[in-house]
Amino acid sequence: MKRSFEAIVVGAGPAGATAALTLARAGVDVALVERGAHPGEKNMFGGVLHRMPALERVFPDFWDRAPLQRHLVKKVLTFMTPGRSLNLEYETESFDRAPYNGYTVFRPHFDRWLAGEAARAGATLLTRCTVEGVVREGGKVAGITVLRGAGELRAPVVIAADGVLSFTAASAGLRRPRFDPGQLGLGVKALLELPKEVIDDRFGLVRDQGASREFVGSSSGVRGGGFLYTNYDSLSAGMVLHLDSLRRSGRTPYDLFNAFLAQPQVAKLVRGARLLEYSAHLIPEGGYRMMPELCGDGILVAGDAAAFCYAKGPNLEGINLAAQSGACAAEAVLEARQAGDWSARRLAGYRRRLEATFVLQDLRTFHRAGELLEIDRLYGDYPELICDFMDRMYRIDGAPKQSLLKMGLAMARKKVGTANLVRDGWTTWSTI
Amino acid sequence: MINVDDLLDYTSFTVDREAHIVLDPAHCAACSHRYCTTTCPARCYAWSEKDRKMSFVHDGCLECGTCYAVCDSHAFARWRYPRGGFGVSYRMT
Repeated sequence: MKRSFEAIVVGAGPAGATAALTLARAGVDVALVERGAHPGEKNMFGGVLHRMPALERVFPDFWDRAPLQRHLVKKVLTFMTPGRSLNLEYETESFDRAPYNGYTVFRPHFDRWLAGEAARAGATLLTRCTVEGVVREGGKVAGITVLRGAGELRAPVVIAADGVLSFTAASAGLRRPRFDPGQLGLGVKALLELPKEVIDDRFGLVRDQGASREFVGSSSGVRGGGFLYTNYDSLSAGMVLHLDSLRRSGRTPYDLFNAFLAQPQVAKLVRGARLLEYSAHLIPEGGYRMMPELCGDGILVAGDAAAFCYAKGPNLEGINLAAQSGACAAEAVLEARQAGDWSARRLAGYRRRLEATFVLQDLRTFHRAGELLEIDRLYGDYPELICDFMDRMYRIDGAPKQSLLKMGLAMARKKVGTANLVRDGWTTWSTI
Repeated sequence: MINVDDLLDYTSFTVDREAHIVLDPAHCAACSHRYCTTTCPARCYAWSEKDRKMSFVHDGCLECGTCYAVCDSHAFARWRYPRGGFGVSYRMT
């Protein structure tokens, strides 16, 4: 096996494959190193692939080429308490035509396709290679070591795109050796098989239209929420749980997940489904505050490894940031290659490129959004309050009605207190 | 709906004989919380109060990283991903 390349990318996920694809297309001799038997084998996510500007630039007909499930036309946010829920549903015809706004996908299919495109463009795809760490030479990163078998691979520059735990970035001294559970989420997911027609009926869809449903107040008081996404003939059902809140609760993720699936509003959507697969992964929710050093001498960090994930806003985004960061990393490498200089100073063009895109701009805009999600009332009191209000508004029982605004305020004061209301209102205002 | 005891029936694994995670049992015995036992989504960790011993089974490990992040007792003599081609093998997800 060949042992030296012009560049090595660790991890054939969306960040790594996009980086390798960009480099290969520019004629760089690049190795794309993956620990799975094929790209995507180790990768899971909730299920929604948002619009991918970085990939649409490479593939103008992205939606015709990539292995996608359904395109999303409907987004529903549900505030839920046991037995009651308020749905905010947004559906637009404009999401029903290209360029689509998002899709559901299976990672073992999607990642495999993208890495395959990188290989077709000339990248050397090496699977079944678990990277142990980086090789240094004169203080600079000069390659990687692979666990057992393959040994050492050399290149003047390495892109670490090996996911949230990134042992590559850790061995290069770019990320902190310990993680803060307060900055991590745990995603658990079940893939549930249902006939396409049943999914279309239950979610109000036709053709290959898809729906995304997210649930607040469905996590038994633990910070987090549930989700249901429609694939072609299966549902992705799961939860994202704040790891610090989960560990302190003493509850197990699968018990919380089962409780979510058992709530009547969810149970009737998944009724009769057959469990096909169960998966789990950590999510780098800390965003801007969790970011490692983005580059060192001979190394760049991209995707989840760089905590380019933003789970705090109205959308749960990650893969779009990963692909964009992979493209930026590759461009910085091309620039450094032209100058023949692999120093951190030269590679810093990577950060400038990220700053110019939504990746770092969004992460910065929402860098305090985590504070909003630390309000425990969000997972119990507020969904209850919202449902209490809706109940009072709609219930016809012969009792005289009150003015809605007055009633709402009085209920809110009683449930959470004026001081908390003001405080939470201010947090919301100043963080999102 | 999810019963982690049946995990191996619906999620595929290529199990390596050698465990990719190795515990130093003395650290687990001294740990005050043993968060790994409740937070692991595959229930790979089990604490026996009677034997004062932590058991870890790597067969159904989803390689999610939770134990690595919640353990603050330095209990891992080794924590790495399985060698290439081994471990969990997602088909769809």
